Amino acid sequence: MSFTQIARNCGRLAAALGTKRMASSAVVQSQAARMMHRIAVPAVANQVSQKFALRSYSAKRTIEDIKFRVLKVVSAYDKVTADKEMVSSRCRWQTQSVRRYSAKPPLSLKLIDERVLLVLSLYDKIDSSQLKVDSHFINDLGLDSLDHVEVIMAMEDEFGFEIPDSDAEKLLKPADIIQYVADKEDVYE
Amino acid sequence: MSTRRPAITLYRNLMRESEKLPAYNFRMYAVRKIRDTFRANKAIRDFAEIDRKMEAGKQNLELIRRQVIIGHLYTADKLVIENKKTLGPLDD
Repeated sequence: MSFTQIARNCGRLAAALGTKRMASSAVVQSQAARMMHRIAVPAVANQVSQKFALRSYSAKRTIEDIKFRVLKVVSAYDKVTADKEMVSSRCRWQTQSVRRYSAKPPLSLKLIDERVLLVLSLYDKIDSSQLKVDSHFINDLGLDSLDHVEVIMAMEDEFGFEIPDSDAEKLLKPADIIQYVADKEDVYE
Repeated sequence: MSTRRPAITLYRNLMRESEKLPAYNFRMYAVRKIRDTFRANKAIRDFAEIDRKMEAGKQNLELIRRQVIIGHLYTADKLVIENKKTLGPLDD
């Protein structure tokens, strides 16, 4: 739990207490809500000092006490799993900046096929009911050469590599694109 | 026609470059304008006219390139309609 989260939780607590204490009039309540950020700061200090006070240096600490505290600390670390993902949803946003240097998932012809057809069916000028693997973009689907450029650009974005113009003008059917992507990514089955 | 290939290349370059514009309004305007202008001018048969339009297109490509750089120097926050993923602890 980060310090900001502690501060926020304390702020909520303080607001709850504050509103309860000052429930006499609505005006005061709204004012309390507005001043919440000011209440939060002393509340934090209070809370922290209380925490430390509880953890004071009493000589009568039993074995059970120590065991309990150690287990509590250890169990907090148990929440970190092997893939460095916090189990608690509260902590998830803190680990979002972790980069994963993994390869992209392996492609198969079927997967390429699905992705090509999905991108095409999402393109607004293509009627997805007429869309087949063998339909010609310009003759069957009624696109012009400028739309064709946009289709190729969408494919570049989908598969993450650039298609040169000389190759792009040969890719006139979804089947051609699938074959081209498969060749480029060394997929043969 | 021999003017077909350079026109397609220009269209592609313009689209690619205008996608890089950081400001949503500029980006959407550029994409829309490029699409509409190319469609409107696709029936031109006069070569001198085509050359003039192509030259204007190239100048606009340079303009967009400059504007991309300038836009990255002075970036603003993304608009609400650009659906970026919500970061932060709002889900608890």
